[in-house]
Amino acid sequence: MALLQIAEPGQSPQPHQRRLAVGIDLGTTNSLVAALRSGLSEPLPDADGQVILPSAVRYHADHTEVGESAKRAASTDPLNTVLSVKRLMGRGLSDVKQLGDQLPYRFVGGESHMPFIDTVQGPKSPVEVSADILKVLRQRAETTLGGELVGAVITVPAYFDDAQRQATKDAAKLAGLNVLRLLNEPTAAAVAYGLDQHAEGLVAIYDLGGGTFDISILRLTGGVFEVLATGGDTALGGDDFDHAIAGWIINSAGLSADLDPGEQRHLLQAACAAKEALTDAASVEVSYGNWSAQLTREAFDSLIEPMVARSLKACRRAVRDSGVELEDVAAVVMVGGSTRVPRVREAVAEAFGRQPLTEIDPDQVVAIGAAIQADTLAGNKRDGGELLLLDVIPLSLGLETMGGLMEKVIPRNTTIPVARAQDFTTYKDGQTAMMIHVLQGERELISDCRSLARFELRGIPAMVAGAAKIRVTFQVDADGLLSVAARELGSGVEASIQVKPSYGLTDGEIAKMLKDSFQYAGDDKVARVLREQQVDARRLLEAVQGALEVDGERLLDAEERMVIDLQMQELAELMKGSDGYAIEQQTKRLSQVTDAFAARRMNQTVKAALAGRNLNEIEE
Amino acid sequence: MGIPCHFALFELQPSFRLDLEQLATRYRELARGVHPDRFADASEREQRLALEQSASLNEAYQTLKSPPKRARYLLAMNGGELPLEVTVHDPDFLMQQMQLREELEDLQDEADLAGVAVFKRRLKVAQDELYESFAACWDDAAQREQAERLMRRMQFLDKLTYEVRQLEERLDD
Repeated sequence: MALLQIAEPGQSPQPHQRRLAVGIDLGTTNSLVAALRSGLSEPLPDADGQVILPSAVRYHADHTEVGESAKRAASTDPLNTVLSVKRLMGRGLSDVKQLGDQLPYRFVGGESHMPFIDTVQGPKSPVEVSADILKVLRQRAETTLGGELVGAVITVPAYFDDAQRQATKDAAKLAGLNVLRLLNEPTAAAVAYGLDQHAEGLVAIYDLGGGTFDISILRLTGGVFEVLATGGDTALGGDDFDHAIAGWIINSAGLSADLDPGEQRHLLQAACAAKEALTDAASVEVSYGNWSAQLTREAFDSLIEPMVARSLKACRRAVRDSGVELEDVAAVVMVGGSTRVPRVREAVAEAFGRQPLTEIDPDQVVAIGAAIQADTLAGNKRDGGELLLLDVIPLSLGLETMGGLMEKVIPRNTTIPVARAQDFTTYKDGQTAMMIHVLQGERELISDCRSLARFELRGIPAMVAGAAKIRVTFQVDADGLLSVAARELGSGVEASIQVKPSYGLTDGEIAKMLKDSFQYAGDDKVARVLREQQVDARRLLEAVQGALEVDGERLLDAEERMVIDLQMQELAELMKGSDGYAIEQQTKRLSQVTDAFAARRMNQTVKAALAGRNLNEIEE
Repeated sequence: MGIPCHFALFELQPSFRLDLEQLATRYRELARGVHPDRFADASEREQRLALEQSASLNEAYQTLKSPPKRARYLLAMNGGELPLEVTVHDPDFLMQQMQLREELEDLQDEADLAGVAVFKRRLKVAQDELYESFAACWDDAAQREQAERLMRRMQFLDKLTYEVRQLEERLDD
């Protein structure tokens, strides 16, 4: 009886039903959302036809304002208006103090080490501010595309460390988005260029945004985008150009550097306007208060020269790391609004000995590439399957060893996903616990590296020093996120963590935010949980159904098939009801009974890839 | 054991001489099949499997791609695991090592970028010679000791290559 009903494809998706997925570029200055529409990836406009959403959030006592109008209020309401929040993502209070006088906010500490910005709506973490931007983009996408999103690909600077990536993922979660993948911005740009302009060979992506700089060297071969090396600076961008001009104004006008937040914003706005004017003009009149003077492009170029030089140095390092010669780079792609600055283009052209490509709008190219990847990940291109992105970790990962030194476990520019183990031992007789301190960075002293997490492996059987064998395993997933496990090999004692960065939000903070969040305030929580479980269940059913149709005959014997069919039937039955717990349990059960099947299918894929290769060889 | 050897994974015979282009092509084909991106929509279990398989594919590729790692792997396959750090009884090579290091220090003191370029080319020649010698003897049990010695020399030159790159970075200020 069960088998009959299973044969009905009631749970499988309609063949032409497109699953809605978007690419989101969450930028320092501007954010965009893009999607594939009639085969073309394009940014989605708001009701006024604008595709760019300024990454500005203004908090009022009773509501939140995001975008252009918030940006305009920056100088009149500086304390409640947050700009360039990306620069604070995954940062600790001490990092923020280093940025110091550049930021006009009042910071308060939270339960975690993360800085909170004090606003009329109460303290806001950078994660929440980012989530407010993402919510607007999500709503825009759902309105434009006319349906609920399956998920989103969110882009991050390639040089973002683990804490910054985790913070971005938390923000997306808070905005109610299912993150299909965190994608590196330069890789996203490469996808847009690779597919659109059919680029092949070695490509350098020079990505200078509002607050971050990335350089990636990729090899493009028949739809495979292989990142060879990446480098950059997460605190270098167009904002710094603005600050350089602002500094010039302060000096030239003889102003005191001690400006109030409103004046600071005003000054930066004048600086930014001057910078933009100098893209086309050779000289521009800058005025602030009663003072005014001419800023020539030449003078501007020399103001930003140290920053341009810093970016080029990172380029040379990335080329060296990738093991190729500068002459072998076939194309240089410009990404990010700051690459509109003529001096930047000129300097990059000199460094690489060729004119950089600017065919795709540098402000939009990242979102466009992300949307292409999102569409593939959502499963809309099952047959094509041409696109494959092989990315790397930007910074080395390691552990603290004796003497405050960092021992690298995974060096920078290693292809992800990656798993690597290192063995350690005890150094005292009878030692029963070991502290594991996880670090990220290139320097030898741990004080120069970023501390990602600390945890303790307890319950090691007492032995003489050096007798215990502790294996620490690092695993980095396709989002570039790390998890670490430690195990004493003799006794099997185990401890593991999904690395929650020291500067991340605590689980308590996230739970509270979810509760407080406008989005969820009106929702019936039970109903929401039930809906999520139904979505999970449906997703699994569809996946199993699809797999059975393709490989069921080949890979399963009659008995195995019957077990799976029965569990599917059971789950489909439960889904008609409203017992969330039962659905969750049955979803797990179905997942368990299909484990072996899934493993066999994966092995088949490997063999198929090899078999295909052999065939080609024979034909040659 | 359920884990196939790195060479078998790429359907290659164990050998030190490898066509790196061919290896890269096979790697890309295999990666297509197991990369987590293909399973973004699948069950949690399948996603974890993809993550594990991709990670071990990447590990295998990294091992075969690098000559010192490949050499080490071949020796381990042939005659058991080798300790990472051992005292090397190789006086000629120790002498050469010291000379090379001194030269590198001089280049640093003089900030001689052109000299670094020449040094790199010499290093490359020395590495290629080692690879040739190793390829000729690694599978001969009678020459096992020699093969191990050559592998350790490779490791040293590999480390030196890394130091040269760090020096280039320091000189690039």
